[in-house]
Amino acid sequence: MKLRVKGALGLIAASSLLLTACSSSNEGNGGNEGEETAPFTMTFQSLSDQPGAIAATEEIVAAWNEANADRKVEIVPAGWDGVYDKLVTQFNGDSAPDIIHYEAASIIPFAADGYIADLTEHIPDEVKSDVDQGVWDSVTVDGKIIAAPTEMQSYMVFANKKLLEEAGVEIPTGDTMSWDQLREMAQKTTTADQFGLAWGLKSPTATFMSLGLGFDGKYFEGTGDDATIRIGAGELEVPKRIGEMAFTDKTIDPVSLTQSGSEVLATFYGGKAAMTVQGSFQAANMVKDAPADLDWIVLPPLEGTTSADQAANPQTISVNIDSEHVDAAAEFVMFFTSGENMAKLNQADALIPASKSAREVIATETKGEDGWDMTLKSGNHLTSAPFLFVNKYTQWKETVATPAFQKFLAQEIDIDQLGTELNAGWEQVSR
Amino acid sequence: MSAVTLNPPATAPERKDRKPKLSGKHLTIRVLQYLALALYLIFLGFPLLWLISASMKSSGELNSLTANLIPQDFHFSNFSEALQKQGLVRSAGNSIFVAIATTILVIVVSLPGAYALARFKGKIRAAGTGWILVSQVFPVILIIIPLFLILKQVGLVDNLWGLILVYTTYTMPFALWMLQGYVQSIPVDLEEAGAMDGASRLKVLMGIVFPLLKPGIIATAMFSFVSAWNEFFFALVLIQSPENYTLPITLKMFVGGEGKVALGPLAAGAVLATIPSIIFFALLQRKLASGLMAGAVKG
Amino acid sequence: MSTSELTTPSADSVASKATHRSRKPQMRGVGKAQRREAIMLVIPSLIPVILFSVAPLLIGIFMAFTDNTLKRNHETQFIGFDNFVRLMSDTYFWESFKIGMIWAFSVTILQLLAGMGLALLLNSNLKFQGFTRLLALLPWAMPPVVVAIMWKMIYSPNAGPLNAVLGSMGLPSDINWLGDFSTALPAVIVVGVWVGMPQTTITLLAGMQQIPEELNEAAEVDGANAWLVFRSITLPSLKPIIASITSLNFIWNFNSFGLVYVMTEGGPGGKTMLPMLFTYIEAFKNRNIGYAAAMGDLLVLVVVALLGVYLWTQFKGDKIK
Repeated sequence: MKLRVKGALGLIAASSLLLTACSSSNEGNGGNEGEETAPFTMTFQSLSDQPGAIAATEEIVAAWNEANADRKVEIVPAGWDGVYDKLVTQFNGDSAPDIIHYEAASIIPFAADGYIADLTEHIPDEVKSDVDQGVWDSVTVDGKIIAAPTEMQSYMVFANKKLLEEAGVEIPTGDTMSWDQLREMAQKTTTADQFGLAWGLKSPTATFMSLGLGFDGKYFEGTGDDATIRIGAGELEVPKRIGEMAFTDKTIDPVSLTQSGSEVLATFYGGKAAMTVQGSFQAANMVKDAPADLDWIVLPPLEGTTSADQAANPQTISVNIDSEHVDAAAEFVMFFTSGENMAKLNQADALIPASKSAREVIATETKGEDGWDMTLKSGNHLTSAPFLFVNKYTQWKETVATPAFQKFLAQEIDIDQLGTELNAGWEQVSR
Repeated sequence: MSAVTLNPPATAPERKDRKPKLSGKHLTIRVLQYLALALYLIFLGFPLLWLISASMKSSGELNSLTANLIPQDFHFSNFSEALQKQGLVRSAGNSIFVAIATTILVIVVSLPGAYALARFKGKIRAAGTGWILVSQVFPVILIIIPLFLILKQVGLVDNLWGLILVYTTYTMPFALWMLQGYVQSIPVDLEEAGAMDGASRLKVLMGIVFPLLKPGIIATAMFSFVSAWNEFFFALVLIQSPENYTLPITLKMFVGGEGKVALGPLAAGAVLATIPSIIFFALLQRKLASGLMAGAVKG
Repeated sequence: MSTSELTTPSADSVASKATHRSRKPQMRGVGKAQRREAIMLVIPSLIPVILFSVAPLLIGIFMAFTDNTLKRNHETQFIGFDNFVRLMSDTYFWESFKIGMIWAFSVTILQLLAGMGLALLLNSNLKFQGFTRLLALLPWAMPPVVVAIMWKMIYSPNAGPLNAVLGSMGLPSDINWLGDFSTALPAVIVVGVWVGMPQTTITLLAGMQQIPEELNEAAEVDGANAWLVFRSITLPSLKPIIASITSLNFIWNFNSFGLVYVMTEGGPGGKTMLPMLFTYIEAFKNRNIGYAAAMGDLLVLVVVALLGVYLWTQFKGDKIK
């Protein structure tokens, strides 16, 4: 018993030492009252979760720290899951990091609430022209650029080459591929013990709204508090087509519709599905995890009736407006998003860089292997989408859209009821 | 819950007498009882068994479509990977610190309070028990927002001491309830004898009452430790920097974007997070049970 | 062995209560000094309770009448009952409320039934007592986050053991238990029962061990079968304990958060959106803390009303007898 007590006391002592160590380091970066001559440290909350991307981030930050010994950056790793709620409490508890990694759709509400610094003046012209205007639009609030876009995701069709060939499917190679082609291929590859397509649609909203652009499905008109919803044929086209494939043709694995994209990978790896629609970043996981004998390929980007557009919802880095070192933090943001650094990071994450120069670097370095040819092609179709600028979008997505889409995929409601629910739900959340 | 489980409890010597003449009916009842017991054991124990098994599987096996309780080959690397993973060790340290500090504070603060509740009848007891009940009814969600604002005022948001104070406050109702049950079980005569010898109230408390309360204190301490170790909601809202995360928060954050999970290390981390409380329970199981009951039966 | 040890504190306390009561008036006459002493003893526990429990509670109740949000530099205004009026027509909230009721009632009832069965087994001299008791307490020793992670694996449609067992019996083996609309809520309810069994079982067991042995024996001599013994002796003796443990369980279950938050985050399609999750999202995702507080107030009122009715019927019955 005595031993145990001693041990406990030791632990307390050790932990309190740890605690004081932590708090003193906090004082270190908060205590300098604007004296820019004194060295300081800025915190950078990074959400990178791929080992390669974590390493790339560390490398970039190390390079910065070497050149800027008096204004170092410290990485604070965090996870994507629940980070929105976390940021809400961090900002309200005055403990938000100086530099914040996130994504456009989710950082915009914080910018609208006034928590994010305006970066417009810190962005040099050559950087501005290196990124498509559509992408800049996705990070602009009230005419102010509130984040630098870093990595972008598009939805890609991954396929098991062997299964396609066995089913006698001609593998498409063009610049784009139509939804009808996808449907046909799924029909041909569906057999008694294998589905043509596995599609992780547990969180369906982002997928539907992004791919909806290909059918001119914009979902919203106007911006900010004045935005109104618009649910027409174009908006409902993607759910309708997926519904036809899943319920009429029965070529989509019904279980996959209730799983996340990553969970569906097991089905794809196991040869139980010939194709799977995933975020392009999954290529990084496939390189790492797919069975050695699985020959996977990436098919051309999906094209709707009007275009092959998908919503650009880039990952971003922003600066906390209450940071004591806004200028230095903004400089770091510019350093971090330089073409070279972005190429490094995006390659590790299998994502598409926002800047053209970085895309060129990747194209030459990878020679289009591991699906990069198609992934980079889809990058040309990424464009800003109206829903990014709707103030109540997150709320509508959480309480209305996601449940409604899920109900549709579970065949609890049909396509018309889906439209009604999306509309009626908006009426409720937007009052 | 069927009639078969209802064989009247017999005391140990009696059972020995009876055993030889177990009638056929009794025998079937016994068999059915053991069958029911086995089902309970599977229901209660299997999930943990599966978690332990998953913690030793390779990521290939976890991502395959086949389910085996015994891993195809054992991958203890999940544990080292979990330990290397962002901040698991640090958050385990935080959790231990918070749980121990909470336990000590709860005991120190509750002991006198529980004594007063047990020994002084009347308004104090009524108010005390009333509050203990009320505090259970209110959902933490209603409290958390103002609590967050109050702690922010005093600079205790994103601070382990803030968490400790909150845990102490919210563990106390139950601790008071358990401890006062134990105090009541100490005959007043003992104290009065002490008081007659001229000892002050404090001396009586320190010299007579508290030592007798040792089993109760141990049970209450365990309850406090486990509550603080397991707690999720307050930590989720009040702790913000990864360096201050407690274990449950870190485990929750293992899940990446789009539900990307390294299942093996996650399972390994989950097993590690369970070990301290399991050890506590195994060591002090009986005392805890009686402590819980002392509080519960009087409720 | 365990029987005697388990009952010691409470049995003693019953005895001590009696002596305590009869002696107190004679021995203690120093009212004022005693009261001061009592207050000194209570103050250490009172301060944290007032600071971190009573104060936030009162502020929280009041906040429901404001339009407070978590926006930067927001100016809060008093808006009377506006939040409540809006809440009345918020169909999403009421849907979540309904789910919360289904959850709290089924978990509480199933906990009672399952806990009663296990307590009876533990009270009937079977072997493996110590081991069973340890396992019975196990769910309580595990952090809810771990429990959720663990059961997610059990329910997994990829290589989950539940589906594997079903598959080996020739039943459908591709159910996504937590992702399917019809199975998600029942699946989380099972986990809720699993988590809450220890406290229920232990409490009921303690109650059973307080029942005088002679009562059971007398009944047996009279030729009563097990079911009759249970109905006429065990159950009536346990009544107050059942009333209190079900009340507590109901409150705890209704207020539960972490378990379901980690398992499903309220999905699929809001099928497991317990009121606490819904309120959490309103507060920390939509940042409308005034509105969220109104939800909290309403939930408290409902719980208190339900408990009042329940306990009233319980104790009214007692009085008639």
